[in-house]
Amino acid sequence: MFVPQRFLSLLLPLSLLSWVALLLSALSHSGADPWLGRWPEWATQLTQGIFVLSIFLHYRYQPSPLQGQAFVRLLRRLVVGPGLLALGCVGLHLFERLAKDQPIFSGNGLFFTSIYTLNLGLFVIFLARTNYAWRALVLFRSSTRLQREWTLFEILLGATLLFRLVGVNPPNYLGIPIVVTLGLYGVYLSGHQKWVAYLSQRDKWRAALLQAVLLFGVLVFVQYFRLTQYDPQLIAPEAQYAFLLLTAFFSAFYALMGLLVTFFNMPIADIIEQRRNEILRLQRLTQIIQRGQTSAEVYHILLESAVQTVQAEAAWLDLEPGQARLDAAASTFYHNLLPTQADALREQLKGHELPAGKFITNGLNIRLGVEGGTPRVFRSLLQLPLRGLHYTYGMLHLLKVDPHTFDREDLNILQTFTSQAVLSIENLELVRTSLENQRTQEELKIASQVQNSLIPKNLPTDNWFDISSHSLAAKEVGGDFYDFLHLPGRRLAVIIGDVSGKGVTAAFHMAQMKGIFHSLMQENPLAKTERDKFPVPSRFMAQANAALVHCLEKSSFITSSLYIIDYEQGGFVFARAGHCHTLYYHAMREEVFYFESTGLGLGIIRNETYEKHIKNQFYDYSPGDVMVIYTDGIVEARGDGGAEYGEDRLKQRLEECYYLAADEIKSFILNDLNAFTKGYPIHDDQTLLVIKFKSAQPPPLA
Amino acid sequence: MKVTAQPSADILTLLLDGELDASSAIVLDTELAKPDILNYRKVLVDCAKLSYISSAGLGVFISHLQRFQDAHVKLVFFNMQEKVFNVFEILGLDALMTIVPSATEAEAV
Repeated sequence: MFVPQRFLSLLLPLSLLSWVALLLSALSHSGADPWLGRWPEWATQLTQGIFVLSIFLHYRYQPSPLQGQAFVRLLRRLVVGPGLLALGCVGLHLFERLAKDQPIFSGNGLFFTSIYTLNLGLFVIFLARTNYAWRALVLFRSSTRLQREWTLFEILLGATLLFRLVGVNPPNYLGIPIVVTLGLYGVYLSGHQKWVAYLSQRDKWRAALLQAVLLFGVLVFVQYFRLTQYDPQLIAPEAQYAFLLLTAFFSAFYALMGLLVTFFNMPIADIIEQRRNEILRLQRLTQIIQRGQTSAEVYHILLESAVQTVQAEAAWLDLEPGQARLDAAASTFYHNLLPTQADALREQLKGHELPAGKFITNGLNIRLGVEGGTPRVFRSLLQLPLRGLHYTYGMLHLLKVDPHTFDREDLNILQTFTSQAVLSIENLELVRTSLENQRTQEELKIASQVQNSLIPKNLPTDNWFDISSHSLAAKEVGGDFYDFLHLPGRRLAVIIGDVSGKGVTAAFHMAQMKGIFHSLMQENPLAKTERDKFPVPSRFMAQANAALVHCLEKSSFITSSLYIIDYEQGGFVFARAGHCHTLYYHAMREEVFYFESTGLGLGIIRNETYEKHIKNQFYDYSPGDVMVIYTDGIVEARGDGGAEYGEDRLKQRLEECYYLAADEIKSFILNDLNAFTKGYPIHDDQTLLVIKFKSAQPPPLA
Repeated sequence: MKVTAQPSADILTLLLDGELDASSAIVLDTELAKPDILNYRKVLVDCAKLSYISSAGLGVFISHLQRFQDAHVKLVFFNMQEKVFNVFEILGLDALMTIVPSATEAEAV
């Protein structure tokens, strides 16, 4: 309801004015001063009505006296304010009684009436403040419905005020039921004492005391008015009985109810408070656990919180070593127990044949010897597993000395704790795994860089030939390799290879093969002829095979081809160990073909019989010839419908581009390959070498 | 990839169906690694429905080759598609393993 601020600021002066008017009116009736004359009856009623209304309205629109949940503060201010008023009232009354006997005051209606009117004013203020304090308490966390009910209560009370104002004095048979009904309504509203539940144990005592004082204050006023009402000296107007009676009744009854509720709340307050603490602890646990950096921290917090919550005398937490995701050395956490004592308890529990899951048992008798003291006997045990989605992480055991001290509620709240802890553990694990993955990724990146450095960057250059290369791994690292080595006597060794499988394993073997290549291609000082100083390709393959026996996995093998090109002689010798056939363009015959040669892959036969399965092939080249060396990642690359690129297509491409330079031939083939496999992931490492022989020219003179 | 084993008196026939790559190689390896497989005189591998073999697939046969030879168990491949045979041939396995065109010839070996 919107009320203009200006009107509200007028309420207090209005109440003061009306009170003065009321005083004058009352005095006029007492006949104390003839000058005043005798005011009409309605004037007294009207001034009294205006006074009560303005005081009540003033307090109605004050800010709520309840701030947050400071219930005790509200009550204290009520006692210190209106409570003191009551004291003042009593003081005035006593003063009046004392002064009555003084001749100067005797029979002096002026004094008596003034005191009475003053007390009436104090009483109204007291009632207004108390009522609106109660309003704040009734409406604490209330529903809209209750707020409407309260407004109705106010309107009805206001209506009783109007009765007198308009001079309507309903007959008793009508008036009494109305007053009783309103009183019952007040009783109903007094039932709303929700705030009591939010008091702490200490505050409950304070609140009860303050309410008792308030109740006393109301009684003092009521008693005063009861006594003075029939005083022969009182020639004051009748008070607004119905309204004051009702508000006084409500004020007193609400205080009484609050007192009773607070009192009856005491015995169960413990439990309520305990539950509230559990909730608070759970909140704290959630926060702390989320901050927990290690699983050990989380387990520790869990154990301590559980112990505090159920006030266990001893406890321990056993963790499954495999599942607990423990980053600490300990796999057990203890509270108020030594590890040896926990062992003793475990032994004794074994004798009880307890179930494996969660349970409570209250009739135990397990004894714990304490050195130099009386043994502790535990009679209650609560056992709770820490269950995650996939694993059970451990088992929590809580012990109490007294029998029958654990209940279902304890189990439920602790289960919330353990779930929370397990969640945190699993979160930590997730974080750890993702960090580890990141690290693995980093390491793979390094591996990839290392492998990249194994692939020759500077291709051999000479005016006798022209080389171009391409390599692409399907994963970070791959199993394809190629290398070059200049041999004395104007010879060049070219090796290509493919390790079965992909990824890291293949990359390791690829590095080994590169090592084998360089160690076998060493000059043999004992060789009789110049040509024997380096192994011929078939011999190289046999030696490589023998070396690989010691380092290759049983199901792994390597395919390789080694070419030794002698450009002084204009020929080359090669051996194919299970590797893809070499594609060749013969310039004189203008023909593209695959070398048909036999040869077994390396690591397939792991004994000396291997040499029978490998042969050398000699070939004389002429200028313009093109040799295309590749791995199966090229010819087995997949395109639409899973079709393979194939040897035939590769051959056709060379037929179309043999006249280009080596680099251009490579690009031509790769462009075609990319067009073929467009949109499909590469599933095997790809390597392509193109060597184009050029017309023999004498080496440039230095 | 499906591997079906059909045992008879002293011959075990393995039917390979699908693509033999790194993931399906494990299935075949489990089959070949069984100890009682060496009790047969012959192990025939029907490759009629084998549409592709990767190096990992070849690796499985290669890793068991020596074991079969030592136990004098003949490993015979038959009904091999040309594309698959080509893979065996390039690697030089045709000289090392018995690869025959049909079942009758496989049984005759």
